[in-house]
Order: sequence, then structure tokens, then C-alpha cells
Amino acid sequence: MYKSFLAVVLIILSVFIYLWQQNTSTRFAYKISSLRAEYDKINSENKSLQMKINSILALDKMHKIAEERNLFKPDENSIVYID
Amino acid sequence: MVKKRSKKRIDRKTVLVLIILTVFFILFAKLVYVQIFLHGKISRAVRKMVNRENIEVSRRGDILDSKEKVLASSVKKYSVFLDPKIIKDFDRVKNVLAENGIKIKEKSLVELGETSYVPVAFNIDADVVDRIKNEKLKGVGFESKYIRQYPEGRLLAHILGIIGYDGNGLEGIEKTYNESLSGNTVMTKTIRDGRGRIIQSGFADAPKICGQDVILSIDRTVQFIAEQELREAFDKHKAKKAICIVQDPKTGNILAMVSLPDFDSSEKIRDIRVLRNSAISDIYEPGSTFKIVAIAAALELGKIKFTDSFYLENGKYKIAGHTIKDDHKISGSASLCKIMEQSSNIGMIKIAQKLDRENFYEYIKKFGFYSLTGIDLPGEAKGLLMDVKKWNALSLPTISFGQGIGVTALQLINAFSAIANDGVLMKPSLIQDIRRADSETASAKDAATSQERRNVGETDDEMTASVFDLKEIRRVVSVETAQMVKKLLKNVVDFGTGRSAKVPGYTTGGKTGTAQKVDPTIKTYSAKYYTASFCGMLPAMNPKVVILVVIDEPKGSSYYATSVASPVFAKIAKRIAEYLGIEKDDVDKLPLQK
Repeated sequence: MYKSFLAVVLIILSVFIYLWQQNTSTRFAYKISSLRAEYDKINSENKSLQMKINSILALDKMHKIAEERNLFKPDENSIVYID
Repeated sequence: MVKKRSKKRIDRKTVLVLIILTVFFILFAKLVYVQIFLHGKISRAVRKMVNRENIEVSRRGDILDSKEKVLASSVKKYSVFLDPKIIKDFDRVKNVLAENGIKIKEKSLVELGETSYVPVAFNIDADVVDRIKNEKLKGVGFESKYIRQYPEGRLLAHILGIIGYDGNGLEGIEKTYNESLSGNTVMTKTIRDGRGRIIQSGFADAPKICGQDVILSIDRTVQFIAEQELREAFDKHKAKKAICIVQDPKTGNILAMVSLPDFDSSEKIRDIRVLRNSAISDIYEPGSTFKIVAIAAALELGKIKFTDSFYLENGKYKIAGHTIKDDHKISGSASLCKIMEQSSNIGMIKIAQKLDRENFYEYIKKFGFYSLTGIDLPGEAKGLLMDVKKWNALSLPTISFGQGIGVTALQLINAFSAIANDGVLMKPSLIQDIRRADSETASAKDAATSQERRNVGETDDEMTASVFDLKEIRRVVSVETAQMVKKLLKNVVDFGTGRSAKVPGYTTGGKTGTAQKVDPTIKTYSAKYYTASFCGMLPAMNPKVVILVVIDEPKGSSYYATSVASPVFAKIAKRIAEYLGIEKDDVDKLPLQK
């Protein structure tokens, strides 16, 4: 009788462990998928911001800003090269 | 009485059992029906709901300059669309979209029509999409698409090119390296639950399908300098076209290539003629810049000596019924140096006449004219050159000073680079490297390979060279001949027509060219239209850069190369030399420091 009871308990326990494992695996899969989507989104945003920075630092734009602020190229004689 | 009651109870029990059995039987029958007869249909429906196939469009690779600054990149942007059949509260949808900068003209759902897809905004950033998504509006959808951006605007437009609506390259590097840049489009499978949430993503390794990055030999600062100075001259002389190419003669790498008029790759192209990259697609008569070919050939074949002098016919030379004149009249005889310094056409004819036609033709071909250079850009022209068997009495004399031959700017600078590179012609190249972005495995493998190669004594330069083979096409002339030609070119700048090309602090060599253009209306050489050019190198005897400036049809008082093209060369060369840190080798001639 005791052995039969133990067998039933073991079977039920195994079923529960299997179900718990499946459930955990699915939960993690959801989490991984959502984190991956977030990573892709952040990566994409990062790329977009990087392009905005590149666009702001474009040589032509910087040159125009320098001209607006009356900055000019130094005269050859005013440059001292340090070895 | 008891027996009768007992019989009645049995009957009730039997009925109850029968009912239960019937229920179970029905359930069993249903189960059999579902499991066996409906099996195919249900499992197909489940598979369709759970397993979803998506077309994964890869991100196009970046184009970078030699210092790895981004010149072209793809960014994910969204378009917003409405499905009028699902929208319940149109006013709320309108308000939320308006709060996020998206305006809808239509006043009611009816105006949107019967369709289920009404696009209302394009190129929307991810943060705006997130804000709209948080409002949980019904009937508002989003589509993502990669948009190509060129942060430097007009800079390098002809080299980078453009891409079409389908994301494929149509011009420039975008076209030539479309296969490497575009990556793979793959079908991916994902497993989703009943609510559409992803349980298992079928394709995890996105970087593997991404396009590869293309790294150019172009330096964006060198390009900017060349473009800025050339544009100034282009506007000043109201020219039809202008070209500037900067090349490293030792490797053949192109450091800058500008063709004007140009365009902005990010904007809509209204006139497709601006897409033409004149530097490689247009042919022109080079004029006196071509004189190096006959001189180098004659020196190499021993037909003339560096110290030889030639009688210059007092500035007028009759040949095959035509009179050739010199712009700078030299009386009596002149040395080789003087002929080059004053760019004497008559002197050049005398030198070319020492060569026979076949020899001259062979050297024109050896210098790379009338053949494709093989540059990594679409639309390269071969040039124009009549077959030597069809040459008439005027062909050799006129071709010797650059008339009667059509060349591309790239062919010409490459020929000058061959002289600068001690007689070796290199294949001009725009590509430094092609590699997969974010690929740690590839980098690790490369590092391991590099270490192995270092162990066997290879230097980093040798390794880089072998990745994108520096292609030595052929030796055109000997080192001695190349040195003599370089000396002649230095004299042109020091004492001759190229004086305005002198770069303070540097020995400079080069040659001016003022070529008459053929006027199609009068079918002969025009007295109005000219092409002014200057091709030079510095330092003169050990050049680090070779620069070509071509101004097509300059308007105004002067059209001579010495006043139109040479000063532009000087400005570009000075700034580039300072930027590249080329050591000054002519310090004695520097202006005195205050």
C-alpha cells in the first residue's frame, strides 16, 4: 500500500516538475524575446542618434559655423610646430 | 414490497450508470472525431497560429572613410498607417497622432475610403512610435524600413552614389559593392502563443545576415579640402564642369575625387545629368599635361638625352599643310627643360618625331590610356585613341601635345602617378577593406591570422596590402627616366608656366594644360572654349601625393591653366600637405618668420 502511494506521489511529482520546467522555459522564452526586441530597439535608436551626431559634425556644417563665428584659418607664420 | 423497492433502486442505478456511460461515450466519440477525423485541419490551424514565417530584411552595411568615419549608413525608421475598418474612435486617433507631430487631413473615417491601409506618416523615429504604441490605439499600425542616410551631405556624392527605392545601389560604390553591402534576406520562423507573443525566435544571429561595411581609401578631410577649393574655383570661373583627384602614387589609392556639378545623395535628384562622375566617365583632350608621355618614351628609348636642345622654328612650324604655333615664343633652340617649362608644342613635336608611331602608340598604351583603369566605380570610360594604323601625318605631332586623343581625368592622374612612383603604374583603388560589422568571430580570426603572419616576419603594411592587393599593373619606364621627368616637372613649377602652382615650403612638380575644345557647331577647335588643367605632385622628387585639377570651359578674362587651374592646385596641395603632415623639403624658400 505504502509503495503504491509512493509511486503515485512520484508520478505526480514528476508531472509537476515537468510542467514547472515547461512553464519556466516558456517564461524565459518570453523574457528573452522581449529583451531581444528591446536590444534591437536600443541598438536601432543608438544608430539613429549616432547618425544625428555625424550629421551635426559634418565638415561642411562645421565650416559654416566657423565662418558665422568669424573664425579663420591661422596664418602660416602664426603656427609653431612642436617636434 | 421490499423486493419491488429494490428493483426500482436497481433501475435508477442502471439509468444513472447508463447516463454517465453515455456522457463518457459522447466525450470519447468527440475525442475520436477531433483526434482522428479533425486532426489534420486542427493541427494545420495551430501550426499556422504558432509558427509564423517572416521575411527578415538585413541592414545594409555602412560605407566608411579611411579613418572609419561614417559616410553612409542605414537607420531604421517607421511609417504609420491606419486601418479605417478597425478604428473605433477616430477623433482620439487624430489627437494622439497630432500630439506626436502627425497630422491627418481627413475629417472623418469615411474620407479615408474603403481600404484597410492608409499610410499617414513616413520616416518616423522609434521613440515617437513607442509613444503612440503606449496609447493602445486600435486601427493604427507601423511598418519599419531601413532608410539610407549620408551625414556629410554633398561630400563624396559621386563616389558614394545612390540607392533605389528597393534598397539596391544605382550609382557609385552603392552599386559596385551592392552585393557586399546589402547582405542577405532570409526567411525566419518564430513560435508564438495564442496572443501573438514570441516564445521562440527562429533566427537569433542577426549580424550574420547584415551587409558588410565597405571602407574606402578616401580621407573625408582630404576630400573636403579638394571639394571646397574646387567649388570656389568652379563658381568663380563659372565653369561648365570641374574635376579634382588626389592620389597616393605609391599605392594607387585615391584619397579624394571630386566632380562638379554634384548632388546630395539624401535629396531627390531632379536632373540625372548631375549623377555623371566626370572624373571617370567624361573624356577630354588633355593638352600639354599629356607631354610627359612623349618625353618619357623618348628618354626611355634613348631617342633623346636630358641635355639635348631642339630648334623651335621661331614659334611657327609647318607640318602636313598645317601651321603649329607656340603660345610662348622661343627664338632659336631650347633645351628639354626649357621646352617643358615654356610648354612648347613645336619642341614637343620635335621630340615626338624622334619616336616612330608604333613606339609612341605603345607608350601611350603603357601609361594606361585607351584602357580601363579598373577603378571600383561604375561607368568608367576607356578614352579615345585612333588605331596607329589609321594615323595620318598630323596624328603623332598633335597627340604629342595632347590634341587628337581623349582621356579621362583618372587615366591622366594615374599616368602622372606612374612617374611619381618611379615608373611603376598602379591600379587606382577606392577600397581599403570590406568587413562584417559586429563580427567578433571574424575579428578574432583575423587577429589570429595576423599574429601568425607577423610571426613569419610580415609587417602590418604588407598584410594590409595583401588583403586588398596593391595591384602593380606594369613598369612603364625605368627609375632613371622617371627621375628625369620629375626633374622636368619640378622646373615647370620653379621657372615655367606652372609657377602659380608652387606650394610654399615644398618642392613641387607639375604640368599645366590649356586645351582648346572642339566646337560641334563649327566642327573644329573653338577659340572660345578651353579646358584648363594642372597635374602636379609634391614633394617633387619623392612625391607623397599627386593632384589633378581640371576646369572645363572657364569663363572670364583668362582661360589659361596657369591662372585658372594651377592656383587651385596650390591651395589644395598646401592644405592637404599640412593635414597629412608631409615634411617640408624646401624650407629655404619659405617666407621669413616675423
